[in-house]
Amino acid sequence: MPIAWYLVVSALIFCIGGVGVLTRPNPLVILLCLELMLNAANLALVAFSRMWGNQAGQIFALIVMVVAACEVTVGLGLIVAIYRRRLAVNVDELNELRG
Amino acid sequence: MSPTAFGWLILLFPLLGCILTAVGFRRERGVSAGAIGSLAIFLAFVCAVGALITLLGRSESSRQVTSSLWNYTFTAGVDAKLSILVDPLSVFMALVVSGVSTLIHVYSIAYLKSDRGYARFFSYLNFFVFSMLLLVLAGNFLLLIVGWAFVGAASYLLISFWYRRSTATRAGIKAFVINVLGDVGLVLGTFFIFRHTGTLDFLRAFHAAPHVFGHNSTDLVAGCLLLLVGAFAKSAQIPLHTWLPDAMEGPTPVSALIHAATMVTAGVYLIARMHPLFELAPTAADVGAIVGCLTLLVAATIAIVQTDLKRVIAYSTMSQIGYMIMGVSVGAYSAGLFHLMTHAFFKALLFMAAGSLISAMGGEQSLDRMRGFRKAMPFTFLCFMVGGLALSGLPPFSGWLSKDDIIAYLDHRGGGFEVLGILGYLGALMTGIYTFRMIFRAFFGEPVEEARELERGHLFHPESGFNPATGELEDADVGFPGPEHHIAERALAMKAPMAILAFLAVVGGVLQIPGIDASISRFLSPTFADSHLAGLDPSTGSAWVGLIIGAVIAVAGIGIAYRVWVLAPGTAARLQARLGRLHTFLLNKWYFDELIDLTVVRPAGWLGGFAESVLERGVIAGGITGGALGVVGAFSAGVRRLQTGFLRYYAAAMLVGAFGMALYFLISA
Amino acid sequence: MSLSILIWLPLAIALLGALLPPRLGPRAVFVGSLITLGVAISFVARFKSGTAGLQFATDQVWISALGIHYKLGLDGLNVALVLLTTLIFSAALLWACLRDWDRSRNLFFQFGLAESAVLGAFCAQDLALFVAFFDLMLIPFYFMTGMWGTGPDRVRATTKLVVYTLVGSFLMLVAAIATGALASSEHHTPITFVISSLRALPLSHTSQDWIFLGFAAAFVVKMPLVPFHGWLPDAYKAMPIPAVAVFSAVLSKVAAYGFLRIVLPLFPYASAHFQTLMLVVAVLSVLWGTLVAMTTPDARMVVAYSSVAQLGFIVLGIFSLQAQGAQGALLQMLNHALVTAPLFFIVAALALRAGGSEMLADMGGIAFRAPVLAALFLIVVLATLAMPGSANFAGEFLILLGVFKAKMAIAFIASLGVVGAAVYALRLFIRSMHNRVGAGVLATSDIGLRDAAVLVPVVLVILVLAFYPQFGLSRSETSVRSAIAGARVQQHGQPTATTAQVAPTP
Repeated sequence: MPIAWYLVVSALIFCIGGVGVLTRPNPLVILLCLELMLNAANLALVAFSRMWGNQAGQIFALIVMVVAACEVTVGLGLIVAIYRRRLAVNVDELNELRG
Repeated sequence: MSPTAFGWLILLFPLLGCILTAVGFRRERGVSAGAIGSLAIFLAFVCAVGALITLLGRSESSRQVTSSLWNYTFTAGVDAKLSILVDPLSVFMALVVSGVSTLIHVYSIAYLKSDRGYARFFSYLNFFVFSMLLLVLAGNFLLLIVGWAFVGAASYLLISFWYRRSTATRAGIKAFVINVLGDVGLVLGTFFIFRHTGTLDFLRAFHAAPHVFGHNSTDLVAGCLLLLVGAFAKSAQIPLHTWLPDAMEGPTPVSALIHAATMVTAGVYLIARMHPLFELAPTAADVGAIVGCLTLLVAATIAIVQTDLKRVIAYSTMSQIGYMIMGVSVGAYSAGLFHLMTHAFFKALLFMAAGSLISAMGGEQSLDRMRGFRKAMPFTFLCFMVGGLALSGLPPFSGWLSKDDIIAYLDHRGGGFEVLGILGYLGALMTGIYTFRMIFRAFFGEPVEEARELERGHLFHPESGFNPATGELEDADVGFPGPEHHIAERALAMKAPMAILAFLAVVGGVLQIPGIDASISRFLSPTFADSHLAGLDPSTGSAWVGLIIGAVIAVAGIGIAYRVWVLAPGTAARLQARLGRLHTFLLNKWYFDELIDLTVVRPAGWLGGFAESVLERGVIAGGITGGALGVVGAFSAGVRRLQTGFLRYYAAAMLVGAFGMALYFLISA
Repeated sequence: MSLSILIWLPLAIALLGALLPPRLGPRAVFVGSLITLGVAISFVARFKSGTAGLQFATDQVWISALGIHYKLGLDGLNVALVLLTTLIFSAALLWACLRDWDRSRNLFFQFGLAESAVLGAFCAQDLALFVAFFDLMLIPFYFMTGMWGTGPDRVRATTKLVVYTLVGSFLMLVAAIATGALASSEHHTPITFVISSLRALPLSHTSQDWIFLGFAAAFVVKMPLVPFHGWLPDAYKAMPIPAVAVFSAVLSKVAAYGFLRIVLPLFPYASAHFQTLMLVVAVLSVLWGTLVAMTTPDARMVVAYSSVAQLGFIVLGIFSLQAQGAQGALLQMLNHALVTAPLFFIVAALALRAGGSEMLADMGGIAFRAPVLAALFLIVVLATLAMPGSANFAGEFLILLGVFKAKMAIAFIASLGVVGAAVYALRLFIRSMHNRVGAGVLATSDIGLRDAAVLVPVVLVILVLAFYPQFGLSRSETSVRSAIAGARVQQHGQPTATTAQVAPTP
């Protein structure tokens, strides 16, 4: 199977994730969409790795998964903390970083 | 012991005395501070005598000895060590300074007995003597400047000794600033000399001067004129004299010590010390002589009309120093220094007597309020009389021999200097007038209430202390000036020094009588060995002619005063009415204060205000800082507007950026 | 013992202090500063004067690709300044230690960081390292002004300080990079930032000119000189007392030292070229600082503006390009630090007695019940006005002598500043200590142990230096001559001949 197919799927998933990040108000969903984008990148990495026949891409994919797991942990922790402080779980109302 | 060892000891004792009295101020509430202070100065005097004896034991050619302890500022061609120069001139000065100081310390023990600042006073006084001795013993320009400025600082501290009086603090700062001006003149003058001679050491610089400076070369004249600025500031010569009358705010012993006997003569010492330079730069020396002459005349005219007792004596001091400056500038070194010595005796005596008189008046200093103290205070009267006669130059008092020695030299030197000599006689006439105006007004006539009280054996005490300059009430809780007053008749510590000084004022002249005795000029000759003017003394005959003219003039002056203030007491008022303008002019001291205020003080104030309000607030804070902050502020406001805080904007910006980069690489590939 | 120990010790102890309990932390940092002082004394004692080279040098490659070394060393220029820094920091920390602060451990950590950075800047012998330390030392002061500052304007003051110093630092960074890059490209050598190597690679005249201006901008802002002092009134007013004492005493000297260490040796042509400009700026600072100090109603501002005038004198000495002037400038750096720090402490003591106000109008008459304070204050005041007999006078004498030889007219104008100094210094003393008791004076008690413990040692140092100013001069002459040699060659076209012609000895 030519590599193009893998890349098309990866790009599709990445775009779906990106649109989700930009449009959804709920941080939980945004986190899921981020995961989608990361996994799209993983797919592309693995595909390229197969194509060139070396292991570097595979290892990168594994590292990304580890990082993603960490990120989910921290992200979910933040969301729970926000919820506990009875703030709205809505990213449009969380603009404390405004300059 | 060598002369220099004595020299170091001369410096050590007053410094130790100063530190001891200062550190122990809490313990020394009694008289121990006075005892320690006086003892320290007395020991310095003893050492000065030791230096004199050891110096006389050496051959004439080896009577200039230097000694240094360690490098003071010794770098990059600047060769200032901590060194002293012991030679006849410095020993002469050290003797006069420490001798008169000892007497004044003893006098102060009684005079300031009840003052709360007793220990502080003696600490300052010892510091002053240390500074003055450092000044006269310094072996190089840098240490001379150090002593010079220390003396100024000590004078400041003592003038504003009663620092709760705003008049005293104002007088103090005025004296200090004018003295600093003199220091700066001295520093810049030193630079001119150092630039060519390459050394700060006195003897080496004087030795090199004839080789590196041409006759009257511009740099040397500039340097000497700047040195004269220093001399004028310290010796209260026109136009830097305005601090001296104000300095009378200090306690009377201070006036006696600093502003009559010692510090103000530093300018005379300076010119005498720098004579090898001044002789190479006759233009500068002439300026010194002319300014000295002007000062002696101006000060004498002012002294005739002032009513504050201490200020009259202060102006007389100015005038007498004018004689000395004139003398040493034209080359009459031994005569100038001789007059310095006799003046120290009789002027200190006059101030001490004046202090006693002021005490009897309960702090009042105005001549208008004093009258008829002759019977009430016989001892003070006697001392005042001796001092006054010596000051006016009546034979055989010491002032007669010394002042007319200067004028005789002027007449003898010729070349236009006779004019200065004649003006000197005019000054002498006025000296007689103002001195005896003071005596006749204070001691003769119908006694005032205070004098009557005293005759009945009762010393007048005012209800509460007041500032004699303004009449303002003193701070009651402070305790200085002390609540008690002491007069010479009742305090031995005041009486003894006055008696000694009176004796010296009478007989001090025997050290130098034309044709009979020349101890002073013979003793000083090793210092002035290289001078071509020092040996130019008038012949005995012409010197005696001068002395006789001087005596006649003194008698005339006293006679005029007697006519105006004793025989026909209304004359002064009539003269005042007829010459109203002149009187106002003299009463306002030739408007020197106003002139300096207008040309220096106010412009400085305006400039300062302008710098602070317009430049500082407007240009710097408004323009430069405000502009810079404005630019930064606008920029940061723009950046801030981008920071909306909405997550999606950041994410979108990131995506757009990533796409942009990808696009760039695609196109460029 | 390596210099690294000296410069990192304060930071290490400050980190330790931050971990200790709040009562112990500050004391630990103070003790650390005393140990640092001891280490500095040991270095000064082992220092051999008379040699021009670096002593106790440490040289490690830091970033090899850029030719940046971690190079430290002492020579005549910085040995006394290192001692001074540790002394002033000890005094300031002792003063701070005897008082209560909010978030004290944090404050003392900032001090430790500042001390390490300043010592690093003095010891650095690599341009990049110097720039790094120079910027690092400012950071704690931003925090100290912003967090522990006083007065309503402290935020604005911090902003001004940050903006001014960062602009200066930025220009210096550009100039430093340009120095290394241009030197390597003009001489086709590998890039290096080590100062001694850069001296062997002189830049072209046009490059020197603009690089000089970059460094000069950073230094004159930091000192500051007129008209680059816009940040000074607010910042000095807002900083807590120990911070302002250190800032005025030590940090301003880093900038003056930068001229001698970097600018004169590396850009001799430009130094000679811009000599008149720098002298004019300096003399303007002297006069301006003096005038404002004479009229300002605020005691702290008198001290602040007197610093402007004093730094004007220091720059005058450096840019006289004469050995006497530069020696005087180095001595004056010590002297100024030794008087300005106690003056700030004294202003604090006066304000305490005048109901918290630092206005001269609220003070007055304090001397009567506070004779010890009055005596200490008087000594410091007399040293401030460069009274002959103080080491300050020796410094000013040498500076004026140098300027006199270089540009006589400027020496005459600058000497007006000496007279003015007498006016503002005595005005400060009289208005606060003498005359009638001021309206705002609550208590006129004498100073307690808390103030005396700081002031007495510093005043003793001033007195010792007054008797022996040679201490500040003896170690530095060779290094100073070497630092100004290049600029003098540019000026006169001949090798150094700074000694005045020697008179025949009698």
